[in-house]
Amino acid sequence: MKYIQPRPSSIVAALYTARDLEVDCAVLHGPSGCSFKHARLLEEDGLRVLTTSLSDNEFIFGGQNRLAEVLMYAEETFSPSRIAVIGTCVSMIIGEDLSAAIEIAGLQTETIAVDIHAGFSENIDGVILTLQAAAEAGWIEGGELARQKKLLAAANEVERLYGAASAPYIKPSRGDLKHVAAKALLARISSGDPGVVILNAKKETAYMFADILSAVHDACPDASIAYAANLSPRGLPKVRRDAEQIAGELAERGVIFDLIGALDEYGATGTEIGEWISHKNPAFIVTAGVPHAIPRIYTDGRECFSITNGPRQVEPLHALGHEHVLVEVDLHPKTLGVSSIVESEFGAVLRSLA
Amino acid sequence: MMRQIALYGKGGIGKSTTSANLSAAFAEKGYTVMQIGCDPKRDSTRMLMQGEMIPTVMDEVREHGDREITADEVVFTGYRGISCVEAGGPEPGIGCAGRGIIATFSLLERLNVLAADIIVYDVLGDVVCGGFAMPMRKGYAEEIYLVTSGELMSLYAANNICKAIERLACNTTPRCHLGGIICNARGLLREEELVGEFAEKVGSRLVAFIPRSDIVQEAELNRKTVIEYAPASDQAGRYRFLSEQILNTGDFCIPTPLSMQELEDLGISYRS
Repeated sequence: MKYIQPRPSSIVAALYTARDLEVDCAVLHGPSGCSFKHARLLEEDGLRVLTTSLSDNEFIFGGQNRLAEVLMYAEETFSPSRIAVIGTCVSMIIGEDLSAAIEIAGLQTETIAVDIHAGFSENIDGVILTLQAAAEAGWIEGGELARQKKLLAAANEVERLYGAASAPYIKPSRGDLKHVAAKALLARISSGDPGVVILNAKKETAYMFADILSAVHDACPDASIAYAANLSPRGLPKVRRDAEQIAGELAERGVIFDLIGALDEYGATGTEIGEWISHKNPAFIVTAGVPHAIPRIYTDGRECFSITNGPRQVEPLHALGHEHVLVEVDLHPKTLGVSSIVESEFGAVLRSLA
Repeated sequence: MMRQIALYGKGGIGKSTTSANLSAAFAEKGYTVMQIGCDPKRDSTRMLMQGEMIPTVMDEVREHGDREITADEVVFTGYRGISCVEAGGPEPGIGCAGRGIIATFSLLERLNVLAADIIVYDVLGDVVCGGFAMPMRKGYAEEIYLVTSGELMSLYAANNICKAIERLACNTTPRCHLGGIICNARGLLREEELVGEFAEKVGSRLVAFIPRSDIVQEAELNRKTVIEYAPASDQAGRYRFLSEQILNTGDFCIPTPLSMQELEDLGISYRS
C-alpha cells in the first residue's frame, strides 16, 4: 500500500531496537535534523544519540571520514559499552560504507552498523536489520532473531488489517470522551455484570497502559473482574526488565492477573487472548494497548472499552465494533525513562468518578 | 574458493565486451560463472544471452516489489551456463543509479544467489558516486581490473579509479586491490608499450593486450561473444590468455595514481 499519511520511521525503529539491545550510544549517520524528536526522547531512556550532521557538502563529497571522526570522539568522550551506527536516507542513497568507517575509526567498543533508511512502508525493517546486525555480532542468539521476526510480522499484519496502516489515509481523532466512557464502565461494573480488563501493550507503553488495570482495581476492588496482562518474562533485555517491573508493581497494588504473552508479543497473541476471553465469558472487555490485535469474533456482542495511544487507531477500532475508544494522547514520551507505572488520563478519570 | 573480480574503466572502452568474453573463457574452462552488469544501460550480458536484454533487477523490483521477487526472475542462464544478472536503473536524468546498484546488491544477498566459482562485476564507466563502489566493498570484489586503451582520456579514467582503490585501501584490513590493467586497443602507435608503462607507473602490470579487431564487431552483430562466434580465432585466444592470466595471478597491489602532468608526459613520450 502506498500511504498518503506519514508512517513511523524505520530509522527511529532501529534506534529503539538499539536501545532494547542495551546500546548506550547510537550514531546517526545523516543530517542533524533526522529523527530529532525521538533522538532527543531516547536520551531519557539512557541511549545517547549522536549525529554526524551531514550537510550538502557531505552529500556531494561523501561523509565517511566524518563518521569515523564522530565515532572516535564518542568512544573517547563517553566510553560507551556498545555503539550502533544507524544509517539514514542520505547516507544510504549516496552509498556510505558504515562498516568501513567503523574499521577506520579503530574502535575498541563493540559496534554494529545498520544500513537503514526510512523508505520502508513498514518500519519493522528497521527492527529486523538492527537485530540481524546484533545477531552477527553475537549480541543475541539466532533463536531470538527468529522469534522477533515472527512477532514483528504478526504485529505488522495486525496494523495492516486493523490498525493505523489499514488505509492510505486515516483522519486522526481524539477518541470518545473519557468521562462518558468512565461512567458507562462504572455503571456496567456496579450492575454486577462480569468483565475482563486486559493489558496488551507494546513494550514501554505498558508503563501507562498498566495504569488502566490499576485504576479499575482501585475504583472497584471487589468487582467481578478478571485481569490479564502481557507481562511474561521474554524478549530483549530492556523488554524483560520492564515486564518484571510492571508486573511487580501491579501485584503491589493488589491486581491479580493472568499472564498472556510478553511485551513484544502484542501482535501475535490475539487468538490466545480471545480464547481466554471466551473462557471468562464477560459482558464487557476493557483492553489497553493494542486492542485491535484481538480477532473480532471474540469481542463481538460484548461492550468494549478500548484504550489506545494512536489517534489514527480510533476509526479502525470503531469499525471493529468497539463502542468506546479512548486515546491516551502523547503517551510514548511519558513512558520513556520511567521505571514505574505512570498515571493515565482514563485511569485518573475513573478514580475521580469512583 | 569463490573469486570475485570487477572490471572498471572509461565508458565505451570495451568493459562489457571484455567481461562477456572473459566470462565465456572461464566457462569454457569448466568454471561456474556469474556476470553481474552494474550499469543502468543494462547491456553487459547481452552477448551471453544471444542478444536478449534480460529483465533488470531494478525493473523487477519496481513492478513486483522487492518482497515478491524470486531468483529466477533476476538470474538468467546464458552461454555455457553462465548466470547473468543486470542491475538496471533509471533513465538518464532522473532518480539515482548509484542507489540502484546498492539496492541490487542488497536483493541479490537476500536471494542468496551470489555463488559461483567466479563472479564478474561489470561496472559502468563513470563511477560518480558511492553506489558504484559497491562491488569494491567488503564481501565482494577483491580484485579490480582496469580496462583502458592508450588514449589519454581512457588512461585518465583508469587513473581515477586507482584513486578510489587507493582510498579504499586506507581501511585497516584492505581487501580490494588492483589486479592489473587490460589494454583494449584503439590501434595507436606502440599502444601495448604505452599502456604497459602506465601499468608499471601505477605499481601494477599489464595483464593482457587485446588488439582492435573487426571480429569483435562481427561477433556482436551476431549476438555472440568472440569465444562463441569464432572460437578458433586469434582474438578468442587473446581472451583465453586474459582468463588464464587472471586465474593464475596472485599479484595484487594498492596503486599509486599519477598526476595529470605525468599522464600527459606519458602520452607525449609515445608520440615522438
